[in-house]
Amino acid sequence: MLETFLTVLLSVLAGTAIACVLGLLPGLHIYNVMGVLVLGVLGLSKAGIDVPPEVYLPAMTGMVVAWSVVNTIPAVLLGTPDESALFTVLPGQKYLMAGRGFEGTMITAVGALAGAWFLLAVVAPCAPVYLPVAQQVLKGHMHWILWIIITFMLMSEWPKGGNRGRAGWAKFFDAWKTLLAGLATFLLAGLLGFILLTASPVSHEVAFQNIMPAFVGLFAVPWCLLNMISAADVPPQRLSKTLDLDGDVVLRSVWSGGLGGGIAAYFPIVTGGVGGMLAGHACAQREERVFIMGQGVSKFIYYVGAFMLMFVPGLNLTRGGGAWMVKTLYVPAGRSDYYLVLGCIAVSAGLSYLAMEPLAKLTVRFVSRFNYRHVSTVALGIIVLMVLLMTGWIGLFIAAVATGIGMLPVLFGSRRLNCLGILLLPIACNMSGFGSKITAFLGLT
Amino acid sequence: MKGFSHFMSGVAVASFGPWAIDAALQGNPTFFILGGACGILPDTLDFKFYRFFYEHDVYVQPDPKDPDPQKIAEEVARAVQMGVDGGRYIRLKLGSIRLGADFWQQYQVTIDNERKEIVCRLGPVVNTGQVPVEGTEKPGAVGRAPLPAPVVQTYDADLKVDIFDGPTVGFAPRPDGGFDLEFLPWHREWSHSLTLGLFLGLAWALVSCCFGAWSVAWQGLATIVACYAIHVLEDQLGHMGSNLFWPFTKKRAPGLHWMHSGDGLPNFTAVWVSCILIFWNLSRSQPALEHPFPFWKLVLVALVVPYALFGALRFLLDRGRKVAVEAGDDADDEWNDMKSS
Repeated sequence: MLETFLTVLLSVLAGTAIACVLGLLPGLHIYNVMGVLVLGVLGLSKAGIDVPPEVYLPAMTGMVVAWSVVNTIPAVLLGTPDESALFTVLPGQKYLMAGRGFEGTMITAVGALAGAWFLLAVVAPCAPVYLPVAQQVLKGHMHWILWIIITFMLMSEWPKGGNRGRAGWAKFFDAWKTLLAGLATFLLAGLLGFILLTASPVSHEVAFQNIMPAFVGLFAVPWCLLNMISAADVPPQRLSKTLDLDGDVVLRSVWSGGLGGGIAAYFPIVTGGVGGMLAGHACAQREERVFIMGQGVSKFIYYVGAFMLMFVPGLNLTRGGGAWMVKTLYVPAGRSDYYLVLGCIAVSAGLSYLAMEPLAKLTVRFVSRFNYRHVSTVALGIIVLMVLLMTGWIGLFIAAVATGIGMLPVLFGSRRLNCLGILLLPIACNMSGFGSKITAFLGLT
Repeated sequence: MKGFSHFMSGVAVASFGPWAIDAALQGNPTFFILGGACGILPDTLDFKFYRFFYEHDVYVQPDPKDPDPQKIAEEVARAVQMGVDGGRYIRLKLGSIRLGADFWQQYQVTIDNERKEIVCRLGPVVNTGQVPVEGTEKPGAVGRAPLPAPVVQTYDADLKVDIFDGPTVGFAPRPDGGFDLEFLPWHREWSHSLTLGLFLGLAWALVSCCFGAWSVAWQGLATIVACYAIHVLEDQLGHMGSNLFWPFTKKRAPGLHWMHSGDGLPNFTAVWVSCILIFWNLSRSQPALEHPFPFWKLVLVALVVPYALFGALRFLLDRGRKVAVEAGDDADDEWNDMKSS
């Protein structure tokens, strides 16, 4: 018994430590690493060495938890936007440009910790009672829920141009440039999604990394390129001693972030960004600190909550890449697994939060020491190398195509979230039953 | 209300149509999409289309290289004077001042009826996130012009112009010789009318009938009319109101003043109640639920208990503290909501 306990504890510590280091690397998703881990476990199993679930399950839980906490650091501190793109990114980056990057990062980390509390103290006890009922009611309706999310996403983007001059068509067309760019981004990303999900050129051996190069191209590469071209100077960063937070801010952040993360965790294909957008609109919170902390809550609930759903007794629901990968190795069996995972989440969340301060300070020192253009170039180099190593030259080609699409919102000032058409459009079509007609029309099947 | 609240209300209203759920179960999401889209459509018509075709009598377009508050104040005064001279409604557009890719010169116009003057103050330079750039405040940059006639504002706020588009204001003549100031006069006019919802529904029905789809015609008609109407009726809960029966009525009917469109709690409640109603309607369509539940239990578990817990926690956390609540304004809230989207 004690031996099992120590094995679990060491595994979760190891997973947390690995993710704390890897979470600092820009562009690298923990699911990529978990994919390699899954292949390793399967390989060992083939060779006659069985790795017990008490080893890989806590380790993987620790990885998901720690990554969802620590990955805020590169998102805020290594993703400096130039002045024209500032509006389209999280306020966390605005904090960086105001010399308060450390503060922004730590507020998000407090959000993640609050998210862990919410998940463990509120969601976890209620989930086995209510979620199976909700799932039974909603399971036949996921497709139209996706469609209404798409509809709102496209309809809620307002024009940013057409600000000057007399009324008329010229003004109208000027205003609609951003909206049309947003629509084009969504449709092109959707088209790429159809190709990758139907007839992916990526080798079947790394099929679980199929969509990774496209995501890197849509989101990470345009950011690095923009930084390299514009190279906004990062102002000197202050290391504040207090975060100026109170219980009310935490409560409201958990409310909005928990809703956004919950939506993203529960509904298929809906990502944290989409969930955050919906929750932001629903909760109508004006305060910036609530928004930043809410992002921390949302990200935690999205990744960890989705992972946890697989273990909820009586639910039988797999959401998120992490859970799908674990499912290739292990099928959860009842309450003991649920409690095991909840315990691992608690331990890992606490440790990751404690690691945040030194890691954030280290990164702030790194950012202050080196030219930001060089930092972005190194980040891009790491990303390209990752794609190349994991998916080969064809993956790099996919990333290049996706980068072209991902640059559209950057150039036209439209929503970057439209890039998620890569998943939303093909999956919604497939779930509604007419995806095959579209792929046939495109000559993919 | 905010766009998402209207959108979800539309979806909730659509879920009351059994045909919407039947179609959805067969993979057809049309009625739900129609519900959400019609729920948000009145604002879409205003903010994405109509405002770009709305003609103004006076365009204030300050020079970005040399923004002059005196000229801005004089232009606003000229607009009021035009109203006095012509005895008619005047539309004034306050243009924004873009200084760079991400920088905007903020300014605000105050109408001071006591001193009978229009005051324009240049504020700080702000970035597109409306965050002031340190060291750009200009406390001495003030312009003043005599106010030709009293102007009654429906809300106690300055006209602040900063990022993206500047607002439109209308000066409506009053019988006493003064003017009512209307913020965004192009908003909540014809687009926010029950009659337009009916017209759109009939248009859908007509097109469907042309293809011989009779049931789709009346089901779509019902969905569009109801979902469009819910937007208009929800807006009536606020201050600004809507022009309910355009073209038969010419003016906005004042709202019930129960809330401001940007208020957090009413917006969230609208969204959450919509979700509960959708869930209830979906559960009713299930022939054999493993764990059936009555409506009161759903409301208790999903609404009453969470709200009570949240309220209690907030009370405990805010005890003994003064929590400042920012006064909102319907038009101002929606205008800022649009810009921040």
